[in-house]
Amino acid sequence: MVGAVGTAVFVYAAGYLEGHPRRGSLYGLLVLFLVGMVVTVLADDVVLLFLGWELTSIASCALVAFEREEASSRAAARQALLVTGLGGLVLLVGLMWLAQLAGTHQLSALIDALPRLPAGPAGVGLALVVVGAFTKSAQVPFHFWLPNAMTAPTPVSALLHSATLVKLGVFLLARFDVGASSFVGWSPTLQIVGSVTAAWGMVLALRERDLKRILAWSTVATLGTLVVLVGLQGSQIATAALLLAHALYKAPLFFVAGNVDHACGTRVIDRLGNLRHKMPWTAAAAALAALSMAGLPFSFGQVAKEVMRTAKDDSMLWVQVAQAVFGAVAIAVAAVASVRFFWRHPGENITPPAHEGGVLTVVPPLLLGAGGLALGLFPEVAAPWLEDAARAMGGVGRLPAPDRGATLGTLVVTLGVGACVYKYWDPLHFFLERLAARVGPIGMARLYERVVGAVPRLGTALVPRFQHGHLPGYLALTALVATAALWLPSGPWTWPQHATSPGMLAACLLIAAGAVLAVVLRRRVVLVLGVGLVGYGTAVLCLFVGAPDLALTQLAVETIFVVVAVAVLIRLGARKEGLAEPRIRWGAAALALAFGGGVVALMLATTGAPADPALDAYFGAQSLPAAHGRNVVNVILVDFRAFDTLGEVAVVVLSCLAGRALLSVPQPMKTKEVFDNPVLQVVLRPLCVVLLVAAGWLWLRGHHAPGGGFVGGLVAAGATAFIALAQSPALAIRRLPLRSARRLGAAGVLLAGFSGLPALVVGQPYLTHLWTSLNLGFTELAVSTVMLFDAGVLLGVWGALAGYVAGLLSQEAA
Amino acid sequence: MIVLVTAGLVVAAGLYLALSRDVLRCILGLLLMGSGVNLVLLATGRFHSAQPPIVAPGATVLDTAAASVPQALVLTAIVIGLALACFSLALVVRVVGESGDDVATMPGVEPSVEGHKPAILEPEVPESQGDFPPHEAAGGPR
Repeated sequence: MVGAVGTAVFVYAAGYLEGHPRRGSLYGLLVLFLVGMVVTVLADDVVLLFLGWELTSIASCALVAFEREEASSRAAARQALLVTGLGGLVLLVGLMWLAQLAGTHQLSALIDALPRLPAGPAGVGLALVVVGAFTKSAQVPFHFWLPNAMTAPTPVSALLHSATLVKLGVFLLARFDVGASSFVGWSPTLQIVGSVTAAWGMVLALRERDLKRILAWSTVATLGTLVVLVGLQGSQIATAALLLAHALYKAPLFFVAGNVDHACGTRVIDRLGNLRHKMPWTAAAAALAALSMAGLPFSFGQVAKEVMRTAKDDSMLWVQVAQAVFGAVAIAVAAVASVRFFWRHPGENITPPAHEGGVLTVVPPLLLGAGGLALGLFPEVAAPWLEDAARAMGGVGRLPAPDRGATLGTLVVTLGVGACVYKYWDPLHFFLERLAARVGPIGMARLYERVVGAVPRLGTALVPRFQHGHLPGYLALTALVATAALWLPSGPWTWPQHATSPGMLAACLLIAAGAVLAVVLRRRVVLVLGVGLVGYGTAVLCLFVGAPDLALTQLAVETIFVVVAVAVLIRLGARKEGLAEPRIRWGAAALALAFGGGVVALMLATTGAPADPALDAYFGAQSLPAAHGRNVVNVILVDFRAFDTLGEVAVVVLSCLAGRALLSVPQPMKTKEVFDNPVLQVVLRPLCVVLLVAAGWLWLRGHHAPGGGFVGGLVAAGATAFIALAQSPALAIRRLPLRSARRLGAAGVLLAGFSGLPALVVGQPYLTHLWTSLNLGFTELAVSTVMLFDAGVLLGVWGALAGYVAGLLSQEAA
Repeated sequence: MIVLVTAGLVVAAGLYLALSRDVLRCILGLLLMGSGVNLVLLATGRFHSAQPPIVAPGATVLDTAAASVPQALVLTAIVIGLALACFSLALVVRVVGESGDDVATMPGVEPSVEGHKPAILEPEVPESQGDFPPHEAAGGPR
């Protein structure tokens, strides 16, 4: 069915959009849409089904917005996308829910399993699926998007809204009906919602003057009927019949509407009339389709009606009433769509010069309309398809032989009522228009408008609250959330088992003193010294807990940090003691203490448990055999995790380069020579030699004893800083290897990176270090690419920091 | 235990400073928080031994020693922390130099969190902060 209508649409679109600049993209979207349809229908996996479902939503949104210059098109597309998209999300949740419950993603297995699932949870999932299907099929609270989507080009409307897209919801419900009909509330829900939709759609159809919108509302009504049929027991054959009949008559009617619009420039029914002379073929198509829609004898619509009537025998009374209304109004709509403006002449209209469109615009509706008639005359042809479809929906049924005599009575009655509605279409219309004006404000459409309209306003209200540009505010909020997160998982607190040595105690006191100093005394120098004290204290602590590498590094880092920070202070120092703030900022203090307490709590909750020794044991066991190093920490850095270290060196070099660049802008500030000290001048040269030798020694021994490239680089950078302080930054830079800090840093990173290449040559992973022994005669000297790597680390850190410090200090001298 | 409390104290001091509107205090506070977190990391090694993780001469496998993995992590963290300090201090110099103002707020917004006005809040917007467009009080959807 999708294929047949799709083909007709393609041919029709060719004629309808002749010469349209974006016809190609329309075809592309249509194909995309059809792919989505086919995927959805054929999918037997819930995820695949959802993907196809969403694909149709997106493609239809793009199609509705095809006339993208029109604001109304864009609004309609947005509405369609939001409603069906949200419905899709609900559907996804429902499907996942059910899939989890049933333990399978296979749709057929899932549906089979439905009756066996616990009723409560499965009911919730099922309800979500139903809501998703309702949005797609434009059922009553979600009906409003369909008529608005009529701004799409007519071929699109015909495809999307008559035959395919909106039927997806019905299709899904029908598939689930097999397993879900045992649930309490399934049938009543479908029957009630479907009936309300059918009746309401018909009423709204009467209200409209626009031909396409009339058709759209009648589509809504038909969808309601379909949903009712799904909800009824043993009505599968009727569902299939109506589905087919509706596709066969609604698509041609849309085509007809499109032709009329094309020819006359309007679709408002008041202005049209007597078109049969101008557009005979279109009129014929309209008549064929209308016959079927009205369910007149010898049309397939009548067959469908017949099946429906037999199916509905056991339904609730008011469902039947709603369906009676539906039948009557359907006839009227059919009449309006065909008789009114092709044969009857309303009189007052000014019809623009109308003409028949090309052959391509006439043949598809004629064919589909004729198909409806043909199937009506020979229902046996359609019977196998319908019975197949019904079986797929889990029902057994035979297409009853049309009993034309028996239904003649009811037919006459509905025809009569329909004729009356047609006759008094205009008065009814005005009555309903007034009624709708009263009811309008409580509709879903209004709710939609409010919600969509509220989004920008909400954003306007919220964004300044969170994006206020107030830095401490951001930080405070972040810290608040982090504090909550820290306190949340607190398990049982366990006091750590280890003994506290006097050394550790002293170090901790040192650290605490630094932290307290930094906070309490508010002079900037004290602040820097306090931070430095924390660092030195940490170094001392490291000594006492068996981390000599850390102690060395921390010591060197802290020294350089204090030098840098003091230099910065001098840069700022001419100015002021910072910002005057209150003595104690209570809010910040409370937050900070809560945060710090949270850290302690978290640590108590985690470190009470014994550590997993696996990693430490692995590195401890592999360090010497695999990496030829005794200093496990250094081996981890330069060998096991060398790639990380390479990246870290690059980070150090880059950030120092960036800092250097930030400092390089000339500043108008007056500065003075601070370290112009004769004693310093004398000891400088030997001191620097000692420092550089120390750096080299640290590098060489790093693999087996505390030391390594990082510390070596830091110590070497200290030497450069000394020269820069005592003599001049320019001189310090000239004394560097390569005579440039930038070149040195880059060379370091390159060297470190290069040291991993030989491994590639011998087929090992990058940065696997190779070892060999050089026989120097008097001793064996082990050499390795790892030494190159660590040398690269050293040079990189040295170059980066030297350049940075020199830049900072040359600001001073400038 | 004492190390944990100390780490918490350092983190708290760092956060307190970081919540200041003074740029330098803010930056140093963040660095202090980093030090505190390093202590925390170190403490995950449990301090069960004061022996450095160095394979003794003659042995091939590490005997009982302090945990090596946290140390390796902290070591890189320390060096990266220094790089961070260098860069952010350069930023401080630059920001203060260009705006003449140590207040760590974006221009044109009255601070409200701490409930008091800064002592020096220059009325004119420094033109240097072109990378960060001035906050629009009116807001609006993007």
